[in-house]
Amino acid sequence: MNKLTLPIAALIVAAFVAYNAAFVIDQAEQGILVQFGEPIGDVITEPGLHWRVPFIQEVRRFDNRLLAWDGAVSQIPTLGREFIVVDTTARWRISDPLQFLRSVRDEVGARTRLDDILDSVARDIVSGTELEEIVRSADWQVDVDGLDEEELSALGAANLERPTKGREQLEQEMLVSASRLMPELGIDLVDVRIKRINYIDSVREQVESRMISERQSIAARFRSEGQGRSQEILGDMERELRRITSEAERRAQEIIGEADAEATRIYGEAYGADPEFYNFSRTLESYDSLGENTTLMIRAESEFFRYLESTTRP
Amino acid sequence: MSQARDLIEQLMNAAGATNGSGQPRGRSGVRRPSGLPGGALAIVVAMAIVAWAALSSFYTVQPEERAVVKRFGSVIGITDPGLHFKFPFGIDEVQRVATERVLKQEFGFRTEDASALQRTRFSDEDFPGESLMLTGDLNIIQVEWVVQYRIGDPIRFLYGMRDPTGTLRDLSESVMRRVVGNRIGSDVLTVGRVDIANTARDEIQAAMDRYDNGIRIITVELQDVVPPPRVQPAFNEVNEARQELERMINEATMQANQAIPRARGTANRIISEAEGYATERVNRAFGETARFTSVLAEYQNVPEVTRSRLYLETLNEALPRIGRVLVVQDDQISPLPLLNLPDQQPRAQNLEASR
Repeated sequence: MNKLTLPIAALIVAAFVAYNAAFVIDQAEQGILVQFGEPIGDVITEPGLHWRVPFIQEVRRFDNRLLAWDGAVSQIPTLGREFIVVDTTARWRISDPLQFLRSVRDEVGARTRLDDILDSVARDIVSGTELEEIVRSADWQVDVDGLDEEELSALGAANLERPTKGREQLEQEMLVSASRLMPELGIDLVDVRIKRINYIDSVREQVESRMISERQSIAARFRSEGQGRSQEILGDMERELRRITSEAERRAQEIIGEADAEATRIYGEAYGADPEFYNFSRTLESYDSLGENTTLMIRAESEFFRYLESTTRP
Repeated sequence: MSQARDLIEQLMNAAGATNGSGQPRGRSGVRRPSGLPGGALAIVVAMAIVAWAALSSFYTVQPEERAVVKRFGSVIGITDPGLHFKFPFGIDEVQRVATERVLKQEFGFRTEDASALQRTRFSDEDFPGESLMLTGDLNIIQVEWVVQYRIGDPIRFLYGMRDPTGTLRDLSESVMRRVVGNRIGSDVLTVGRVDIANTARDEIQAAMDRYDNGIRIITVELQDVVPPPRVQPAFNEVNEARQELERMINEATMQANQAIPRARGTANRIISEAEGYATERVNRAFGETARFTSVLAEYQNVPEVTRSRLYLETLNEALPRIGRVLVVQDDQISPLPLLNLPDQQPRAQNLEASR
């Protein structure tokens, strides 16, 4: 054997032991030393290089960041008996690794416990609440007076009142209720939020059908309103037309009447000077209109023939 | 295993070679059968190690990135773009985070192909789970939106929470449903869009700040906000009906606009005609009376002669035009039987008899 073999072997063993004794806690982690299954010492929260008794102590690492929990989608009836699909999500962190290690061992264990607790809390709260309360928030503000008529009729019977609790407060209640059980798990629950709420499929179809019929009734109202307005305009037009025409005719008759009166006055004044002559000359004028088709019978004694019989002076 | 043994063997050889420099090779030891001297091998190995160390001691950071440097798992700093030195062999670790890049999350749709050469194509697939939500009046609405964000603080992004991007997704859905649920459907469909997007952005940012995960929300943009697919035709029907309403009003107005000015014109015509008639009538009256008055004045000078003259002149003018003139005498028998009247008018006899 080479005389150097032994030191080199020793060096390698020493390196191996040192390598085993050193461990790194990442920025994202916290760790606990465990010796024969028993936690030793404080929680290591400081990231960096740390030492342990090699081969005897092992490191259990836990995430020290904020973690997400995503709940299963569950069907829950509300207080109003509507079945809705609720999907919740939560943020949590491992606040007490020792307790966490003892009670749930690892994240998988924690997740199943969180599933149990949060699902049941969500179920309790949703089933004791009206749907409006879950959908709306405490700062709900709908100005009913500001809505136009179309929308009001579409809303129909739906109440538009401000919720007594509202979504945030319900989420807060879920958080408080679930948090009561958290200390013994070594978990700090940061928030619980409702991610999705929807009607279940069969209810959704009904709601969609209702929306369709609402829209159709609005459409029908628009159409008949159009017809009504059109008739109104045409009626106005007819009235206006008749007014214009009749006024014009009235005016025309007045003008004609005035002119007739004027003419009558003029004729009266002039002809009144000698009515007998007027009759005479007017009669003569009317002879002008006698034509070919006329047969005129004149008495022989008439003025015209007087001189045919005798030219002697009477 | 055998490789490890070889390595140890080589190391031992190398150690022996350096220790026994200048001396002939050891009394016992391993006699190398190969021609390669042990010293040379050691140098090759040492150089390989040095080269590996050198290569792993440098790293580059791209312009849009920042690098978080950790030594033994503990963050020691952030480096800017460029070439940087670090301790090799896993002592220093580098995590690159694209802090300058604007990232986005899509809800209710997916961009399928966003190559620079052509228009962006969107997947036809719907994501009703993401986009369907309830409005405050308990109707269903389909909202698609985009959240654009940037990683503002790489350390917080990496170590504030696990999977911050997934949390951003969850939170965006939660916040959007809260905001939409807090309004009535028509509001969401029409005037509320900008307000919803702004409120959602502020609330998502507030949540991200609370989680301290270094995400900065740049903007929340609503894309398609529509009623659910099955209801859309009914909404279109309302729009059509609204158009029809406008159309009917317009048509009636048009008809009125055509008829009324025409009627005004007609009315003016009627009045003008009446005025024309009036003028004519009065003028004729003046004319006729003037003529009469003039004739009367002359007539009054010599009434008898004038009267006869007028009578005779008139007959003189009229007689040639008259078709037939019958002269009758009271004491004579009727001339009618003797005449061959061109038109056999039985009434002529009556006329005669009445005379």
